[in-house]
Amino acid sequence: MSRSLDDRVRDVRRLLAAAESVFHARARWAGAIAASTGLSPEGVELGFASLERHATDDELRALVASAGDAPHVHVVLSANVFVAPLRALAVARAAAPRVSVRSSSRDPVLTRALVEAAGDRAIALVDERDVAAVLPPGEGEVHVYGRDETIADVVARLAHRPDVTVRGHGAGLSLAVVTRAAAIESAAELVARDVVLFDQRGCLSPRIVAVEGDRSRARAFAAALHDRLSAWALQVPRGALLPDEDADARRWRDAMAFAGEVLQAKGHTIAVAPAGAPWWLPPPGRHVQVVAQDRLGDLSIPMAPLAPFVVAIGTDDAVRLGEAMGAWPARTEEARGRTRRAIRLSGLGRMQRPAFDGPVDLRWRRA
Amino acid sequence: MIRAFEGGRPMPEPFDALALDLARFQRAHVPGYARLCEARGVNLGRAERAIEAPAVPADAFKLARVFAFDEADAGVTFRTSGTTLGARGAHSMRNTRSYDAAALAFGRAMLAADLPPGAPVLVIGPSSREAPDSSLAHMCALFARDLGGASSVDPVSAFVRDGAIDVAGLRAHIAALGAGRPALVLATSFALVHLLDAVGAHGTLALPPGSRVMQTGGFKGRSREVSADELRRDVARLFGVATRFVVGEYGMTELSSQFWEATLVDPAARHAVYVEPPWARVVPVDPVSLEPVADGEVGIARIEDLANVDSAFAVQTHDRVRRVNGGFELLGRPAGAPPRGCSIALDEMLSSARVAP
Repeated sequence: MSRSLDDRVRDVRRLLAAAESVFHARARWAGAIAASTGLSPEGVELGFASLERHATDDELRALVASAGDAPHVHVVLSANVFVAPLRALAVARAAAPRVSVRSSSRDPVLTRALVEAAGDRAIALVDERDVAAVLPPGEGEVHVYGRDETIADVVARLAHRPDVTVRGHGAGLSLAVVTRAAAIESAAELVARDVVLFDQRGCLSPRIVAVEGDRSRARAFAAALHDRLSAWALQVPRGALLPDEDADARRWRDAMAFAGEVLQAKGHTIAVAPAGAPWWLPPPGRHVQVVAQDRLGDLSIPMAPLAPFVVAIGTDDAVRLGEAMGAWPARTEEARGRTRRAIRLSGLGRMQRPAFDGPVDLRWRRA
Repeated sequence: MIRAFEGGRPMPEPFDALALDLARFQRAHVPGYARLCEARGVNLGRAERAIEAPAVPADAFKLARVFAFDEADAGVTFRTSGTTLGARGAHSMRNTRSYDAAALAFGRAMLAADLPPGAPVLVIGPSSREAPDSSLAHMCALFARDLGGASSVDPVSAFVRDGAIDVAGLRAHIAALGAGRPALVLATSFALVHLLDAVGAHGTLALPPGSRVMQTGGFKGRSREVSADELRRDVARLFGVATRFVVGEYGMTELSSQFWEATLVDPAARHAVYVEPPWARVVPVDPVSLEPVADGEVGIARIEDLANVDSAFAVQTHDRVRRVNGGFELLGRPAGAPPRGCSIALDEMLSSARVAP
């Protein structure tokens, strides 16, 4: 490690300070972000509230430890929620004395704002699309945040560069688990908050909620969530959906109406799945499938087909969920050492703001 | 309707009247359809056209029972081949009489009208023994039994065993056919790609003159991908037939009827344009409003199939189609715009070519 831990923490703190500065001047960028993300102005404001500006020393040490060490990290930001560039830059800067970043062409605003506010000469914005041309010979890393095909494209372009490591953070999804101990109303409020942020376009947004108990409890939770999302819509209206999102929503809504029960409002849809039906992933845009789960220990069965894509699980009782799921806690701890296929556990209502201790996606696809 | 079609007579009842009768029957006996009608605010009692009745999303066949009878009365259940998120779509029927009658009537007309009785039928695809719940295997076995003669291969064994094509057996069988009687080959695109690979670029399995080949199904992600035109040309060369004798079929497990390219019966017909039997129709609809799009515009296929008596008279698919003169063009799944954010979509998950860790 050529730089000391303190140096790295200091460099990350500089980015957090930049985030603080951007946050206070957010009105300058809010319009452009609303246009590029499709979020309502209120949704952009709420999104800004989840932009990290502070972190504990423990979190920063964990972030540095997770970041690794490289002479140069090139960050490719392709598809993310709009506040995600901060963490991506922080991980890269913790790892390397030199960072280059190509912002998303559709959503470049916050990346540029952060880099300018940081005033860190070690971080350079680049427009070059050829990743091989950005990284000089020698050991380097490319951190790609985007769809799987984007990651595959970067890997292919670097096939002739064995000196470069690609860390891909692909698209994913998250779940929420409401245990028997949770009060339905308060759990619904917390899940609603996680759903509303970024209109569910982030991989940390819960799209399926497993409610421990029988179907009547799941229905009660669905009704409470319907109520809370309706209330949220008055404060933070859902933004415009893309035509494809709208079409997917229609398809999902009709399938769920046929198979189960649907609670629908202008800006959201909740479906209660029939007993024994497979989990049918809703599209982003405030669509939630609620499933009854009799035993937490059996959660892995319906979840299995989705498991490779699950980034995080929010729950009111991480300890009990961890115990119930057997091997999960160990995997989660290993993930801090970048083991594959780990899942982040978060508190309900905190799913979109996990500890600032490294990448949000602990699955760590390495290529 | 099927009998009228076979007898060359006009349809006994208007399509929409029959369709709405079916929709009302299914609303009364399929709980999911009643829920869908309610969620969509549709009063079938006041409906005048079939398009007013909601179509059942094809996904629903993976999530719930789509049949109007007691489960114990299900005589056969066809299942989709792919396991989507751990679920296979299931289409149950009391029996296959309607399915068989519809498939045979239109299949015979589009594929075998000029074939002499007892033509050899060769199945290069899943056999009904290997895939007992495959509607395609059932259809191929049905055609082999009904259209084929003594020279037909036992349709339950066909030429695919344990997922591998028996090229030597196929070659020997074709060599023994003689030149006098045209044959009918029923094959999946997936199997044809593998057969072409096995035989080699210059290999041939020449069929007797007048023979024809049914080609069905996609093969994306299951083998090397070739364009439909290229595959058709290669198949025609392999079997020594004109390209118009390679006839595409489009069907779904969720349906009881099939759609065919008309190139064999109409020399002016184009490939990739499918025609419907009189008891089924394909309506391109807007993917959001589910209203029919203007003539000539691309929409997703709402398929109304009056042979789906006990399940869903209308099935909403995700396939893009366009009405053209004489039928509809099948345009495949929408490519879609790049999604916003890092939240994964269902279709993206299904087609995810994940980067190796």
